[in-house]
Amino acid sequence: MQIIFEKRESVSRQAVILVPIVSFLVSLLFGAILLALSGANPFITYGAMFSGAFGTWNRFTETLVKAIPLMLTGLGVSIAFRMRFWNIGAEGQLTLGGVAAAGVALYLSQGLPGWLVLLLCILAGCIAGAIWAGVPAILKAYLKVDETLTTLMLNYVAILFSEQLYYVSWRAPGYNSGTAPFPETAWLPRIAGRAHIGLFFAIILAGILWFVFNRTRWGFELKIIGENQTAARYLGIDIERNIVLAILLSGAISGLAGASEVLGIARRLQQGLSVGYGYTAIIVAWMAQLNPIVILFVGILMAALLVGGDQIQMKMRLPAAVGLVLQGMILIPMLAGSIFTEYHIRIIRPQKTGVEAEA
Amino acid sequence: MAEEPTPILKMENITKRFPGVLANDHANIEIYPGEVLALLGENGAGKSTLMNVLVGLYRPDEGDIFVRGEHVEIHSPSDAAALGIGMVHQNFMLVPTMTVAENIILGMDGLAFRPDLDKVARRIQEIAEHYNMNVDPYAYIWQLSVGEQQRVEILKLIYRGAEILILDEPTAVLTPQESHELANVLKVMTSEGKSAVFITHKMEEVMEFSHWVRVLRRGRVVDVKKTSETNPQELARLMVGREVLFRLEKEASEPGDVVLELQNVYADNEKGLPALQDVSFTIRQGEILGIAGVAGNGQRQLAEVITGLRKVTGGHIYIQGDEETNHSPLRMIKAGVSHIPADRIGMGAVGDMAVSDNLAMKGYREPPMADGGILHPQLILEFARKMIAAFRIATPSPATHIKFLSGGNIQKAILAREIDACKGLLVAVYPSRGLDVGATESVRKRLLEQRAQGRAVLLISEDLDELITIADRIAVLFEGRVMGIVDSHNADIDALGLMMAGVPKQEAIAETSG
Amino acid sequence: MKRKFWSVLSLVVILGLVLTGCGGGAAPDGGGSADEPYKVALVYIGPPGDLGWTYEHDRGRKAVEEKFGDTVETTYIENVEEGPDSARVMRQYAQEGYDMIFATSFGYMDHMYEVAQEFPDVKFEHCSGFKTLDNMATYFGRIYQPRYLSGIVAGKMTQNNNIGYVAAFPIPEVIRGINAFTLGVRSVNPDAEVHVVWTNTWYDPVIEREAAVALLDGGADIIAQHQDTTEPQKAAQERGAMSIGYDSDMRAFVGDTVLTSPIWNWGSYYINTIQAGKDGKWETHQFWGGLKEGVVELAEMSPKVPQDVRDLVAAAEKEILDGNDVFCGPITAQDGSVFVAEGQCMSDGDMLGMSVFVEGVVGTIPED
Repeated sequence: MQIIFEKRESVSRQAVILVPIVSFLVSLLFGAILLALSGANPFITYGAMFSGAFGTWNRFTETLVKAIPLMLTGLGVSIAFRMRFWNIGAEGQLTLGGVAAAGVALYLSQGLPGWLVLLLCILAGCIAGAIWAGVPAILKAYLKVDETLTTLMLNYVAILFSEQLYYVSWRAPGYNSGTAPFPETAWLPRIAGRAHIGLFFAIILAGILWFVFNRTRWGFELKIIGENQTAARYLGIDIERNIVLAILLSGAISGLAGASEVLGIARRLQQGLSVGYGYTAIIVAWMAQLNPIVILFVGILMAALLVGGDQIQMKMRLPAAVGLVLQGMILIPMLAGSIFTEYHIRIIRPQKTGVEAEA
Repeated sequence: MAEEPTPILKMENITKRFPGVLANDHANIEIYPGEVLALLGENGAGKSTLMNVLVGLYRPDEGDIFVRGEHVEIHSPSDAAALGIGMVHQNFMLVPTMTVAENIILGMDGLAFRPDLDKVARRIQEIAEHYNMNVDPYAYIWQLSVGEQQRVEILKLIYRGAEILILDEPTAVLTPQESHELANVLKVMTSEGKSAVFITHKMEEVMEFSHWVRVLRRGRVVDVKKTSETNPQELARLMVGREVLFRLEKEASEPGDVVLELQNVYADNEKGLPALQDVSFTIRQGEILGIAGVAGNGQRQLAEVITGLRKVTGGHIYIQGDEETNHSPLRMIKAGVSHIPADRIGMGAVGDMAVSDNLAMKGYREPPMADGGILHPQLILEFARKMIAAFRIATPSPATHIKFLSGGNIQKAILAREIDACKGLLVAVYPSRGLDVGATESVRKRLLEQRAQGRAVLLISEDLDELITIADRIAVLFEGRVMGIVDSHNADIDALGLMMAGVPKQEAIAETSG
Repeated sequence: MKRKFWSVLSLVVILGLVLTGCGGGAAPDGGGSADEPYKVALVYIGPPGDLGWTYEHDRGRKAVEEKFGDTVETTYIENVEEGPDSARVMRQYAQEGYDMIFATSFGYMDHMYEVAQEFPDVKFEHCSGFKTLDNMATYFGRIYQPRYLSGIVAGKMTQNNNIGYVAAFPIPEVIRGINAFTLGVRSVNPDAEVHVVWTNTWYDPVIEREAAVALLDGGADIIAQHQDTTEPQKAAQERGAMSIGYDSDMRAFVGDTVLTSPIWNWGSYYINTIQAGKDGKWETHQFWGGLKEGVVELAEMSPKVPQDVRDLVAAAEKEILDGNDVFCGPITAQDGSVFVAEGQCMSDGDMLGMSVFVEGVVGTIPED
């Protein structure tokens, strides 16, 4: 029997839904093999992971806590990826977003009304993220500098800069390794447990982005640029300007992720902000096929995997490394699975002639 | 000459479906040793699909293949190669950074860990001399012209012992001289009992190269003819299923105001060398100006400066009276310029977007399709349906990604979009290149329609017949200079040919009339 | 473009794996199943395989298991970030009925403080911090005491009076260690200088090694450190230099070029605290034990250390045990001002807030 990959004519709705589910099942199977080899009962482990992520209301809120930055950065990078702009700098954009929000909360909030403080903090986070993404965007658009390298390198700059701030320049006096706590006016309201209203930001933004991509002139232009720059130029679309604008938006959303993380969770700037959300976001965005609505759900799934992964250590008493390998093994089939939404395998099968109605 | 009872190759009732497309519908072919079979058909008739089935790239949904009388299953190109079947694709499968000899043995079974390349090279040399093909086995692929690369592909198949060669539109990339050499190679091969399948949509080539011709239409083999017993008109009729107007009726038209004026335009190419030099001409309403010339003499750059895709280094461009020199593509579009680019998939369309989206790519900026930045998908779809009907674009649905359409239908979609958006000047670059007779005719009719409606048309073409048929005046470009502009109704093909070779107009006319 | 995407993706995946690091290979615990064992959980910043800070805490945990057998159940979670993740982990342990939770890094302090307020019946123990509640205590050790003793060894053994010190963060804990070490050095060798390089990391083998190499390039012939890995020791050994370890007896892992190490010895503290918890006698506290309590000590010295140096160390240790602590005057600060006046000893509070260097340290403390 011969297997041929053929590109799908249009991505079918069925495939969009079925493929991730099947991939997920394959992932679980792979993970089960690993767990069995490590001497753990896969069913008990998966049960523990599920219960660790969703078992109680409290745990579910903790999963949301982890999901919020993943959703936001996932939305951020998805914009860039639609433009075929490989922004792997969401980590740095998030970090600087957090730094800017912290700066405003700590040093510019005196004497301002409460609502304004929070608004300014969030705005500062967005702007900082946008600037951090804007630099590679401008370099790419006007000087053709490879964005993969610039965005990646700027991550290190941002992270080290933030360390300089919370370990040294902004460190609270005395026996501390972070800044002083923010004034309460700069706290992002929490919904349940530690889950904060960043969740609403993510949901609203996903809706807005869906609308922009599918129903606006600008979204249409972004799509054309992403698919075929030569055609975009021919059609009179200003590629440079649009790339820069889209990437500014991309960075701003990642910056918002950092700001809401700092204002909603730690409520001070300290170690623990740059823990890899920006990289995981790439996986989230890709697994969601860059669909903003799907990103929300994939964000929760990914958060559940990370939060539930604690149970590998806590319940199953396996070393942390097993948890990391398991997460990797679960991700790989899910990422590989995306090929089946774009391609399908040809095997001989009877088919009605004539034009079938589009699903 | 085909007196042997068993064909060397027989394909029976081959059926192949793609989503929404029936590419082959119970197609049959037979080839006998020592013969060239031409597969003739419009774009999208199923010629390439049928041959891809033969070499194992596609698996047929139905049908059987017999080689030398035996029923065979072909699952991959290497299965096909083992049966002595090899194909030269339109896009060559060569590694540019390796030599001819290395490419020829690359991927062969049973190679030594370190093959004796000198021995391979000697053998290649022998084969090449035998077929009068001039190829240096030690040359790197990137150093070779397209025609030479094609020779390497053919050599590769012969070297590997192919008995049946499949050539997919081989002349599309060749100069007339190279086409002629290819014909000679095929003659030598068939005289030795080898066979070939020749995919084409050009009638002249069928007549020159083949012994038999099978005409495909909509996936079916509609007729089989012995080449010596048919003629181009008959083949054309079979291909499109109706009589083709080879001569379009051009109505007289009164040119109106000047729409496009170029004054002493200079421009450079990508390498910074002069591509256009001192180009001046005007086009009026209701007039088609043809640009003739051998490809690479500044035609592309000319289209680009007029559409804003390239900066001029000197001179002025006026559109409908306003200076538009070095303005952006968007400004040019707004000034009323529409553009049918030479590269349909690369520039004119976005392959991975829907036909309806592609049709909307000019109109999406303004009402009714957009309103204050918000798109109206329903109106876009309505517009697409209208265009699909008006321009007879064959597509399974408006939502189908445009890359799944045949070249002719993609061109119709581009034409539909550009003509609909046209507000004065239509720049058409090789609009009928690579299209079959039916599509070519429809493109030319549309251009004449635009002329009749008072638009100015700049038509760049390599096809002198086309230019003489539909252009009002013809400008000849040579090395970026206009050698002269002649009226098409009294244009002399020989004089145009001399001008294309760099002879100025007065001399050329004097020479041909004298 | 597609291909580019995949290469970028694989780069990211690799980066992700590298950044998250590889955990140590700890074996799963047996976890005795006697009736109602006292349940104890430890939250580790690194892997127990770091041979340093976390290794020592895990050694303490093992001592607990050995001592109590089936009556105490211990578990741990390794590689927990000092961010929001740590609160989640501690909260879950508390919800699952753990009786006592130890958090072994300073950065967990605020998160533990937050969680402790939600679970008044659970005992929380935070290592190295300063915030306490009725159910949250702190514990730490006067590692500066054995550091002073190790300084005596370094001061006697240096050939060129250039001693390097790889330091984690400019916080009082680390500054105190550097000062104590320097005082030890200068007590036997007033000409020697201690050169400090900051790494801004507790656990990063690569950066710690680079810092040590920089000091060795600067001519240091002994490397001391305040980090969680043995990398500075290894770097010194490769350059033919001596070193002073930290956390654990690094001589066992690196070799005799490690002259000695100020080490932690958590076993007795963990055993006593858990015993109190079991017996219902646990009360909140701020434990800061020294040589006397056995929480800290100087590891056995390398054979390379001659007897006269060992005698000096023994004498100094006796002095500390007799109550003449390290930071008793007269001590001069780096800028020449009086650090501790003659006849005075620093209070615990001043020691916990130490923020300037003493004379003999070469290096700066980044300004707040």
